[in-house]
Amino acid sequence: MAISLQKGGNVSLSKTNPNLKNVLIGLGWDVRSTSGDDFDLDASVFMVGTNGKVRSDADFIFYNQLRSACGSVEHTGDNRTGDADGDDEGVKVVLDKVPATIERLVVAVTIHDADARRQNFGMVTGAFIRLVNIDNDAEIVRFDLSEDASVETAMIFGEVYRNNGEWKFRAVGQGYSGGLHALATAHGIQVQ
Amino acid sequence: MAISLQKGGNVNLSKEAPGMKKMRVGLGWDTRATDGDGFDLDASAFLLNGAGKVRSDADFIFYNQTKSADGSIQHAGDNRTGAGEGDDESIVIELDKVPADIEKISVCVTIHEAEARRQNFGMVSAAYVRCVNGDSNVEVARYDLSEDASVETAMVFGEIYRNNGEWKFKAVGQGFAGGLGPLAKNFGVSV
Repeated sequence: MAISLQKGGNVSLSKTNPNLKNVLIGLGWDVRSTSGDDFDLDASVFMVGTNGKVRSDADFIFYNQLRSACGSVEHTGDNRTGDADGDDEGVKVVLDKVPATIERLVVAVTIHDADARRQNFGMVTGAFIRLVNIDNDAEIVRFDLSEDASVETAMIFGEVYRNNGEWKFRAVGQGYSGGLHALATAHGIQVQ
Repeated sequence: MAISLQKGGNVNLSKEAPGMKKMRVGLGWDTRATDGDGFDLDASAFLLNGAGKVRSDADFIFYNQTKSADGSIQHAGDNRTGAGEGDDESIVIELDKVPADIEKISVCVTIHEAEARRQNFGMVSAAYVRCVNGDSNVEVARYDLSEDASVETAMVFGEIYRNNGEWKFKAVGQGFAGGLGPLAKNFGVSV
């Protein structure tokens, strides 16, 4: 049975699912029903070490760089409207293959062209992040973003991280002003 | 050697730090990198008698009352953001000066305005509270607030208490609903 987390809460993936090998981080949102530009949300993952930074730009997985060099993290591709049933974008993680020096996978969501389209998360409905065990299709944990009317355009949804030899997931749900650019820079990416 | 405390853990102070005269409680956390109100964590200490209550409001040491009347406890002051390396707030306890009718000292951590700001320890990066042997500077025990107190907004970290003429430290690690006000009231402070 899936666990529903509140902001700030964490759960052990290893304890709830001892044989967990392949997870899907699923991100979903509803298609815009009002008039205006579509909501194009983008999932990205920063693979960071203990210093909270990536080792190189190759550790930034997003719509323009779908696969990590080690093959442990793979983005399933860009969805520009939110039109799928269930997950609109996904990131697959093979836990065993994540390099030992990577402590955390920070999962973020940003709104594409938010400033130009004058959009923010407060306008998007039905946004969620969930972790699914790919091998048996069971949803392990889900974090539903509450209707905090938010003026954010970028947000850290959650983190898959190591703690004392096990894998855990923490629900973050905190906004980040400046969009994907600021988020990437904060995690050590060289952005032009 | 420092012991990282899991929930409900226990540390025998006289074994870990025999003859310790000065204990320093250190509270640390990272400044907020994401949007929203800053995280303002507060350390506090309650001098308690045999009934588990303060003798008077003067036994409540926190950011608005940083020194105990007898000088046994000194709070180093309020840090409202977590800026700075290492411990952001600290309380030093001189065990020899603690009055004879004080049986234990309860050390707590709370988040200022947690309800209004909708914050909990899990949202704060790298929040911890630790006990350090003030004489040797060796860490005696540490509790990872971000990880293990994640959905709490206030918690009783531990108790330093007398036992057969020695001082001992017991890790409590229990959350407390309501924040500093209710916590203080619980110990008999008039709020």
